[in-house]
Amino acid sequence: MKESIDLSQILPIIAPIIVIQLILMVIALVLCAKAERTRGPKWVWVLIIIFVNIFGPIAFFIAGRRTDG
Amino acid sequence: MSSEAKASPSVSVANPPLSSSMTRYRVMVEKELLELVRSFKLLWVPLVFILLGIMQPVSTYYMPAILEHAGSLPDGTVIDIPLPQAAEVLAQTLQQFGTLGILVLVLVCMGTVSGERNSGAASLILVKPVSLLSYVGSKWTAMLMLAWGSLAAGYLASWYYTGLLIGAVPLNKVIGSLLIYGLWLSFVVTTAILFSSLLRSPAAAAFSSLVSSIVLSLLAGLFPKALGWSPGALSGFASQAVATGISDSGEFSLAILVVFIGMIAAVCAAAGALRRSSAVE
Amino acid sequence: MTTLLQVKGLSKSFGAVKAVSDIDFTIKEGHCVALLGPNGAGKTTTIRMITGLLKQTSGEMEFQGAAESGHHRSLIGYLPQSPSFYSWMTGTEYLVYAGRLCGLSAATAKLRTKALLERVGISGAAKRRIGSYSGGMKQRLGLAQALVHQPKLLVMDEPVSALDPLGRKEVLELLRELKQETTVLFSTHVLHDAEALCDDVIIIRNGQIALQGAIDRIREDHRKPTIELQVEQDEHSQRWMTSFSRRIQSLLNKKDEGALFQDIQLQNGIARFTVREMDAARRMLMEELAHEQVKVSRLEVGHTSLEDLFMKVVTG
Repeated sequence: MKESIDLSQILPIIAPIIVIQLILMVIALVLCAKAERTRGPKWVWVLIIIFVNIFGPIAFFIAGRRTDG
Repeated sequence: MSSEAKASPSVSVANPPLSSSMTRYRVMVEKELLELVRSFKLLWVPLVFILLGIMQPVSTYYMPAILEHAGSLPDGTVIDIPLPQAAEVLAQTLQQFGTLGILVLVLVCMGTVSGERNSGAASLILVKPVSLLSYVGSKWTAMLMLAWGSLAAGYLASWYYTGLLIGAVPLNKVIGSLLIYGLWLSFVVTTAILFSSLLRSPAAAAFSSLVSSIVLSLLAGLFPKALGWSPGALSGFASQAVATGISDSGEFSLAILVVFIGMIAAVCAAAGALRRSSAVE
Repeated sequence: MTTLLQVKGLSKSFGAVKAVSDIDFTIKEGHCVALLGPNGAGKTTTIRMITGLLKQTSGEMEFQGAAESGHHRSLIGYLPQSPSFYSWMTGTEYLVYAGRLCGLSAATAKLRTKALLERVGISGAAKRRIGSYSGGMKQRLGLAQALVHQPKLLVMDEPVSALDPLGRKEVLELLRELKQETTVLFSTHVLHDAEALCDDVIIIRNGQIALQGAIDRIREDHRKPTIELQVEQDEHSQRWMTSFSRRIQSLLNKKDEGALFQDIQLQNGIARFTVREMDAARRMLMEELAHEQVKVSRLEVGHTSLEDLFMKVVTG
């Protein structure tokens, strides 16, 4: 085996990725909490947003909310 | 409209002065941007592009280590994947934008016109003395701003990470390919808005514009000689611009001309489609 | 009194279906005009053509004053049946936006917005998102946005149909004030609303004008004397009632111009006769009743109402 991945070396590099994912997740969760009506049950969306990386929040942004004028 | 022609004898009166229609257009663009802010689109779409942009160089850099740790390989296998050139990584980033990025943009654009028509909000706006062209044009402008902003943020983030992990790429090459790729994204966004005006269903509009963009780039990839002038070739030109430099500048300028004409035609066609069937709701 | 809008031969077909065919009417400045008719008569189509949302198949519309200010759309304020807005905007933002699209400066638009919100009674909700408004509040906001550029003609499509009785009353009250200031055209299928507000009425049916004119004149012109007769429930009287109305009906069918009766309707045991000559008809009826020893419970002399006329025009 060659040298293993040094976590302290990686962390500063992948930190922004994690931070951005967290931001997306938080925005989606806030919008989900504030939305009066969602397409499908809210708790399912919460699970999707938290557990599906990147695509969970995106899916909610695009398809999750029902808006009427 | 016969009534208008009858009611207003001179042409100058029939068309409101240019300055006032410019003001209205500006007011409508501001409204579209405010909508992008309120719906958080102006935040999350660029973030997604930045994420895509960062992930490409990072995953390229760590690919050997990740493979090694996956543990599915027999002991003693020597993994020797050469690190690609820095410029290649950026070209790969553009490919990411070409799939996931376009998907996100098209899904964001799919309901811009049809959503307002279906809800009836458009009819309240369109009875006001505003032209259909500035109605469609304002949406188009706002969406282009979103697309360009997201692309620039994502691509520059990718460039920064590539420089950090793999190697430097001259900024002027990056900007050049960014501009070319931005035109391709603009074209896709424009078709999405056109389909959103033609079709009542947002899903159908998204599907149609995705299919047309895929077909365009596939055809341009299959027949690079015959279709070098088509908008679909632009993403290829963008990759060339950053990696090797554009080989056929004649075809390239033709493609740029075609893309501009295509976008103008699409915006006019969208306004025309609304004029023919503006019986909204 | 000058003519604000003149409509000549306006028609609209959707494929083979003629929604509106060959409508002529004029709207005088300062008048309140109701477009009255049952659902599906072509009211909304007519209104949409006037607002320019729908292009007519044929016919013309002439707006007085359009030559001065250019676009005739800037002369019109439009309120659709159930207006929808941008739910993410606040009431104030929407009105300012609407005003600016009509060519007002930012400052004027803000001033008008404030005044109008006050006027339609939703200034308390001015800073709330429209998405949280109730139906009545949206209707008021719709009215405000139609008035923001002080239009010469306010066009409304069923302005109170979707509202509950209370909201309906309030909006009607508001319209009564507004019609003092501007020319109003609105569609409705409720005669009562038209009667309560309007000077002129245009009754349309199957896409054509069935009757139009000043509402008072129509009421006068079509006012006919009527006699309502109700008898006791006993067998003899009931039998007489049936046979008598049948006799009158057969007389009516002969289309005798000289006949006393013009029409008869039997409903819930009450006979309603429309008569040509009240005195002769009443005498004849009283004699008949006395002779046959019918037990009369009610005999009432009156006039046909606008409602009767409306029903006749619309169904006949």
